[in-house]
Amino acid sequence: MSYRIDPEFRKELGKFGVGSEWSECYHCGNCTATCPLTEEKILFPRKGIRMIQMGLKEKISAYVEPWLCYYCGDCTKTCPRDANPGELMMALRRYLTSVYDWTGLSRKFYTSKSWEFGFILFFAALVVALFSVFLPLRPDAEQMVNASGGVMINSLIAGMSPSTFVSVIEWGDWIMAMIVAGLLISNILNMFHKIVLSDHSVRVPLRAYFIGFWKLTFNFLTQARFSKCDNRNYWAGHLLLMTGYSIMFAVIVVLLPEFQTEEVNPWYHWQRLLGYYATFGILYFLIITAIGRIRRSDINLRFSHSTDWLFIIMLGLTTITGILVHIFRISGLPAATYYTYVIHLAVLVPMILVEVPFSKWSHLAYRPFAIYFSELKKAGKPRTADIGLAPAIS
Amino acid sequence: MNDLVTTGLYFDHSMNGHPESIDLLELSRFAGNLGGVEWTEHSTVIPPADPKYFRDIFIRNRVEHLIVVGHTPGNLEPFFKKASEGTRLESGHISYISLPEWGLAGKRDTLLAKILIYESVTGQLPKGFRDADAPLMHEATLVIGGGIAGIQAALEIANSGHKVYLLERTGTIGGHMAMFDKTFPTLDCAACILTPKMVEAGQHPNIELLTYSELACLEGSSGNFRARILKKARRVDITRCIGCGVCAEKCPSKTYSEFDAGTTLRKAIYIPFPQAVPNKYLIDAEHCIYVQEGKCGVCAKVCPAECVILDDKDQEVVLEVGQIVVATGFNVFDATRMEALGYGKYPNVITSLEFERLVNASGPTGGAITFRHQDKKGNWIFQKDGPGPASIAIIHCVGSRDIHHRKYCSRVCCMYSLKMAHLIREKLPSAQVFEYYIDMRAFGKGYEEFYERIREEGVHMIRGKTATIEEKDGKLLLKTEDMLNDRMIVQEVDMVVLSVGLEPVTDALQLAGMLGITADDEGWFMQRSGNISPEGTLRGGIFLAGACQGPKDIPDTVAQASAAASGVIRQIATGRISLSMQDFAHEEIEQFLSSKSPIAEEQP
Repeated sequence: MSYRIDPEFRKELGKFGVGSEWSECYHCGNCTATCPLTEEKILFPRKGIRMIQMGLKEKISAYVEPWLCYYCGDCTKTCPRDANPGELMMALRRYLTSVYDWTGLSRKFYTSKSWEFGFILFFAALVVALFSVFLPLRPDAEQMVNASGGVMINSLIAGMSPSTFVSVIEWGDWIMAMIVAGLLISNILNMFHKIVLSDHSVRVPLRAYFIGFWKLTFNFLTQARFSKCDNRNYWAGHLLLMTGYSIMFAVIVVLLPEFQTEEVNPWYHWQRLLGYYATFGILYFLIITAIGRIRRSDINLRFSHSTDWLFIIMLGLTTITGILVHIFRISGLPAATYYTYVIHLAVLVPMILVEVPFSKWSHLAYRPFAIYFSELKKAGKPRTADIGLAPAIS
Repeated sequence: MNDLVTTGLYFDHSMNGHPESIDLLELSRFAGNLGGVEWTEHSTVIPPADPKYFRDIFIRNRVEHLIVVGHTPGNLEPFFKKASEGTRLESGHISYISLPEWGLAGKRDTLLAKILIYESVTGQLPKGFRDADAPLMHEATLVIGGGIAGIQAALEIANSGHKVYLLERTGTIGGHMAMFDKTFPTLDCAACILTPKMVEAGQHPNIELLTYSELACLEGSSGNFRARILKKARRVDITRCIGCGVCAEKCPSKTYSEFDAGTTLRKAIYIPFPQAVPNKYLIDAEHCIYVQEGKCGVCAKVCPAECVILDDKDQEVVLEVGQIVVATGFNVFDATRMEALGYGKYPNVITSLEFERLVNASGPTGGAITFRHQDKKGNWIFQKDGPGPASIAIIHCVGSRDIHHRKYCSRVCCMYSLKMAHLIREKLPSAQVFEYYIDMRAFGKGYEEFYERIREEGVHMIRGKTATIEEKDGKLLLKTEDMLNDRMIVQEVDMVVLSVGLEPVTDALQLAGMLGITADDEGWFMQRSGNISPEGTLRGGIFLAGACQGPKDIPDTVAQASAAASGVIRQIATGRISLSMQDFAHEEIEQFLSSKSPIAEEQP
């Protein structure tokens, strides 16, 4: 197979926060050899730098390795040219997210702050508007306190029964989940096409699809690949975040009636314990990461793209408003509960809609699938040598 | 009177960014006050701006002469060529002043840079600075450093009939070359070439050896230097020592030998190596029990010539010399700084200098390549006999071409690594040799052919820098990306040789300050001009020879040493010494530059 050299490719990458340090690389191979995650057939990051130096845009689109990198920073620390390969992998993940996304929105969000903020503000305003028009606070809300002193959270809406309110929110959750899942699945299919199907040099046996699936599930649940990096603190922090986030996702989308109950349950109730664990997991990760990014304490936190900060801020606001809803609720303050609840959703909804399918959080799908696809390619048998010649110039 | 040519100056700040570098703003201010200068500008951006912008300036100011000043101003040539189209400059001329080319790098050189600019603008060196020379008061020459460079320069000068003091810090002349086994690419025996030269230098009537001595202070001016030499206490009277070795036999204190790069042990009273010049003993005060604890003194008791002076003191001598050749050589990179490669942690990861001694017939094992082990007293030395390694890896660029250590290419490592591979194959024909390189730099005469030859001998060449070395079950595991075969290799070998780079001697900057010459930001001494005077310095009467000016192999070192000697001899022959900018006191230059109308003063 032959590839076309695109001299403008470097400019395009620049828009995604890819610096120009990679041009310093003189290909000693130190980064690849230092990397604890590189494998016999999966060599990175040096090969990726080569592709960028050469302007091989198509080849980068089919490049799965950035998703297999967890940015421990060993390559950057030891690079004899300060070519910063670790950050390059990070920036390539941003670029690849936009490559997989067929809507083109991801590209807009990464390359234009006004698009990103505009989108977020639009959905935040939409949530506030929907609440003020269709789900306003009932006038006698101050009465809605139950015997134990907690706010009856589902009875705060004027002219709506508690069960109707819960199902309205649940429906909203499901619609949002469907949109996000639809986008992610179509993007993953796009990724599959670019990485596996377009690679004519290997033929993947059917068996490999089933065997590889186990690795996908295993890695998704344990983040095992991440734990191979030398500094295991990042893996532990990330696992806390991932499990906390997944629990929150599950209770909100699937178990909302059991989670958002009228009664305030005692602290040892499973519903509250799960909530506390998830909040702790997310908050711990956020604080550690934010401090690290401000202090630039480690090599992988030294360079922060605007989307990195936006992610921290949005998730932080969601968590803080969530905690406030909880505090106001158990303190018996119905109006405060209602308003923070609305703000909570006004942050949460745009965060999910922007981050998950189009931005930083899409990695929750791309990373495990990248492991899956690389397993497929590793299991693939090489086809007859495919030495395609570049088309003749006529 | 010269017609005033309308001149413009452009100052290129790029590559001149750090705060200790020359103050280009001040230069720009200075240039603006010179007669004929209509316009000055400076920028940090490359390319500076639109050529059209400069074209307008050239037309508006009627610039006929443009001077571009900076680190590498020649890079801007195509840009200014384009900008000068259709202006008076097209038929005028553009000149470039590269500051490092003139050895000007630090803030303190700003004054000297002004002289350069003055010369370029007015077309003449200020009166008194141009063609200035001084009488050569003393014929004698001081050569600092007794390696191959210093020996070569000293012999050249001495053989033309002039007095030379050859100053050497250690107990013997010979330097690094004496430690080497073979030279590349001819595979000549290094000692066979060097030893006769050492003996010649030692016995030459015109050469006075000052071993175990250092330069303490330099006074005076070019042609009339007073060098104060610190003669460290040798504690052995070399005029009486007969070199019998009884003292060393009885000496109870042992330490690692510097000459054998730490691969063998020597006594506290020792001769650096059997062919040392002078072939006389000296006492290493740091390890001498008498010096440290005040008792012992067995060497003095057994010496048949009664030449051991245990209470010897440092002495100072003053030499009056006319010129100086600096040939202080290099240090090898300290491989323990590359932690991932495990030097100092695994006994069979050794440096190339240790390997040179190991493979040498006069080395620790008589030339057999064996493993390093701990002897009964806990010293790490090579086994006298025993099986040799079945596989050896040689890793290039250790400490070189690395932004965290030494960013430059050390120039000799590729070739000496190939030579080592050959020597291993010669001594251990069944051993597998792997060379891990980044780029193979075989640039000299016969070098590429040598590379071809070593490849044909069956040495495995792997393009990729080894990132980590770990020991497992007595074997060393090397992790490398074999990029030409697109795979990762974890190679298991018995021994690893690290091809360490060259770096300036630790006190290079101190010496440069003492001599009044400049050094670049790495610490290599600055030549007068990279192209036409690589052996001169900016100070008249001080010349450079060998690796002190930059990493160099033996042929280049010898050539440069001879060039330095020819400079010295030329000035002895004429009896006058040509001065340059750095020979003038700063006050003198300042006084000159501050005078209001320097050009008018030039009028008769």
